[in-house]
Amino acid sequence: MIEKIRAYSFPALLVWLLFLVINSFFGFSMHPLVIKGTMVLLVVAFGYYVVNMKLFSYVTHRIIDAFLAFFAIATMTFLLLRLLPGGPFDQEKTLPPEIMANIAKKYNLDAPIYQQYFDYISGLFTLDLGESYKYIGRPITEMLIEVLPASVELGVFSLLLAFILGIPAGVLSAANHNKFLDRLLMFGSISGVALPSFVVAPFLILIFAFKLEWLPAALWDGPSYYILPVLALGSRPAATIARLTRASVLEVIASDYIRTAKAKGLSRLKVLFKHVLKNSLLPVLTISGPLVAGLLSGSFIVELIFAIPGMAKHFVQSVNNRDYPLIMGVTLLYSGLLILSNLIVDLLYSYFDPRIKLS
Amino acid sequence: MFKLITVALTSLLLSVSCTKKQKTEYGLDHKETLKINITTEPPTLDWSKSTDTTSALIQDNIMEGLVDYNFDDPDLSLKPSLAKEWSSTNKEQTWTFTLRKGVKWTDGVELTPQHVVDGWERLLSPATASEYAYFLYGIKNASKYNKGEIKDFKEVGVKINDKGQIVVELEGPQSYFPYLLTHHCTYPVRKDIIAKHGDRWTNPANIVTLGAYNLKTWEHDKAIVLERNENYYGEKAKTKNILAYMIKEASTAITLFETGKLDVQGNLPSAELKALKKKPEFKQNGILLLYYYGMNTTKPPLNNVNFRKAISHAINRDEITTMLDGGQKPMTSWVPPGMFGFEPEKGTKFNPSKAKEFLAKAGYNEENKPPKIELAYNTNEDHKRIAENVQAQLKKHLGVTVEIKNEEWKSYLGKLKSNTPHIYRMGWVADFPDPDNFLNLMTSYSDNNHTNWGNPQFDTLIKKAVSVDKKEERRELYSKAQKILTEQDVPVIPIYSGVSHLLINKRVQNYPMNVMGRRKFKEVVLK
Repeated sequence: MIEKIRAYSFPALLVWLLFLVINSFFGFSMHPLVIKGTMVLLVVAFGYYVVNMKLFSYVTHRIIDAFLAFFAIATMTFLLLRLLPGGPFDQEKTLPPEIMANIAKKYNLDAPIYQQYFDYISGLFTLDLGESYKYIGRPITEMLIEVLPASVELGVFSLLLAFILGIPAGVLSAANHNKFLDRLLMFGSISGVALPSFVVAPFLILIFAFKLEWLPAALWDGPSYYILPVLALGSRPAATIARLTRASVLEVIASDYIRTAKAKGLSRLKVLFKHVLKNSLLPVLTISGPLVAGLLSGSFIVELIFAIPGMAKHFVQSVNNRDYPLIMGVTLLYSGLLILSNLIVDLLYSYFDPRIKLS
Repeated sequence: MFKLITVALTSLLLSVSCTKKQKTEYGLDHKETLKINITTEPPTLDWSKSTDTTSALIQDNIMEGLVDYNFDDPDLSLKPSLAKEWSSTNKEQTWTFTLRKGVKWTDGVELTPQHVVDGWERLLSPATASEYAYFLYGIKNASKYNKGEIKDFKEVGVKINDKGQIVVELEGPQSYFPYLLTHHCTYPVRKDIIAKHGDRWTNPANIVTLGAYNLKTWEHDKAIVLERNENYYGEKAKTKNILAYMIKEASTAITLFETGKLDVQGNLPSAELKALKKKPEFKQNGILLLYYYGMNTTKPPLNNVNFRKAISHAINRDEITTMLDGGQKPMTSWVPPGMFGFEPEKGTKFNPSKAKEFLAKAGYNEENKPPKIELAYNTNEDHKRIAENVQAQLKKHLGVTVEIKNEEWKSYLGKLKSNTPHIYRMGWVADFPDPDNFLNLMTSYSDNNHTNWGNPQFDTLIKKAVSVDKKEERRELYSKAQKILTEQDVPVIPIYSGVSHLLINKRVQNYPMNVMGRRKFKEVVLK
């Protein structure tokens, strides 16, 4: 029984956390039972980690590696920014030199580069990413916290859509190999992969907002506003996941142990979803790391088209504005998400395939 | 895994089935709310520091200056605002402003002359690092204070006299000085509020203002809500609320306009103008904007004035504005229409035979062909279309080969300073409606003059014109200056004057449209 609790605590924790995220983003009040349930799960999961010292040591090593990578990224970005032509305060109406001098002094841009670098890095230890040059007086940390929820909402729902549609479609496709359903699903997935979001989004707006008038064309004011952007952003990863799952399932389905399972008289569905699927998910897991980071940090095109107040625009606009602190902020946030999601994926590898050892 | 998916789906369904919090466009009544699009997040609502039009639009509705434009007057005269009257003495070198009584900030505190002086002191303080500090450089010792050469603001030429009037002493005569006080950077401030809240003083909970509207909500990157100021000193705003969305993508905003979510949309993409012009909601008005090409007068062959004249004569501006089809006015002179000093007859007109004559004078003919020249612009679809058109015209009329190059905006600006190309694109929007604002930028001492051209006679005319109080005399001086700039030395090629395009819902009446692009909504009525 304890073994079972241990084995299930990790995925269960993930699901509960997901539930909490969804609830908080929709703005529902949380029932005390939900909070208590989460607390219990957290304790169980924590116990699982403590008991499993090997995992603990692995995670510790990875976190140290992550810090080193983080430091390297911060340094590289800081230096590369200074090599970009054009400064943050260059504009159509050139400013008198004395005003430029006041601005440089205010933002510490008149200090030697090494001094600016050390100031920035030391600020990182207290999560002080500085103030934006463009959005005067606004701390970068605060700005990112303000725009992150919309991007995460969009990302989480798109991710859910991608998994919920992609995995069953891949399994069904493989189970009906070379039959009509397989061809239909693969036609759909090839179309999904081929159509970028900037084509899908206007198409969806035209049909659902203009012609049918079922859904709002843009803005971000509640669940009905989420549907079109999530479809636009999630359809492509869903199609990719479907294709990957199909290929992987086809490989696993030919294994001896699947033949044995079938010979035992297990139902087709049970064979597929209990024995085949678990071992077919490794390739999907591999792409999930960058996919999660990419989707959580938002999509420039989708956020732009649907006027979603997310963070993706900062990836482009901060560079256009040469807003050094904001560029650093979004780069480090994205790096952090990427490192974290890859770590989670690596941990999930050993869960899905116990033959893979963490080291 | 199947269990995982099941639980995830159940969570999603549970979430969706729970009661949702009420969220209906900030709880505003559609009938009393003008819904506009300000395109982007305002970089700051601190009027001493902002430099962009988005911030200015909000600031102009929640604050006021000492004076305001009278847009009913074609000459764009000034009308009282926070100042009830003003006068000048000492040949427009000393200005006196008398404040209106009974104007109250939103926290009930009465406006005093000290608030105005505080605003100017803050603007000029080196610690504020305001990009618009130079606006008040005409005031005695103001630039020294901004440079930190003077530490005590009392030495700057701004005083409050015994009658409670604000007396401004300038470095020299400046006939347009009151016009500067229409600009948001010169609005009064409350130092006590700024000291109390620091950089967060512009948050809706902290800010105090005195304009026709109050700042009610500011949801970053999403929307701003303005609410009618019931304690406004003048006639109250006719529309109760302004809901300003921040929608960057023009096609998205147009979609929202067409589905009734927006009442007004500017920023119309030129590629869609042809279709949009057919709509009854389409409106356009001229604005004080000049689109021009500058020429690097130190780079051969453009160091030869005859070659520059040949280039300018070979460009048919009508062809460009016809191609753009957005109502722009072709320009050969420098001061745009809608402002005194506009002289459409000035400049080098399109004349291919004259162009060829000047090319020959520059020493180029069939045997000695002109070298290839570079034309640069910042990446933008319209700039590209214009550059390609000019490229084709110069090839056709002069046989000059033009290589067009585009660069991202900041890189482009860096290039203009470090290695100005043969020909570069640039634009100028009026800060205040006076020819000085346009002609000053081509003086030899202007930081905005990238042509490396300078003419002492031109500089003298501009300096003199500022100090003259008679309008006709000023007009004469600016006319001579324009002649030097666009006919004699030709370091620039004016192309067209700008137009603003808008879609305005039929239910919106009295929407402000003027040459300065000022949008004050207090007169807007919703049907």
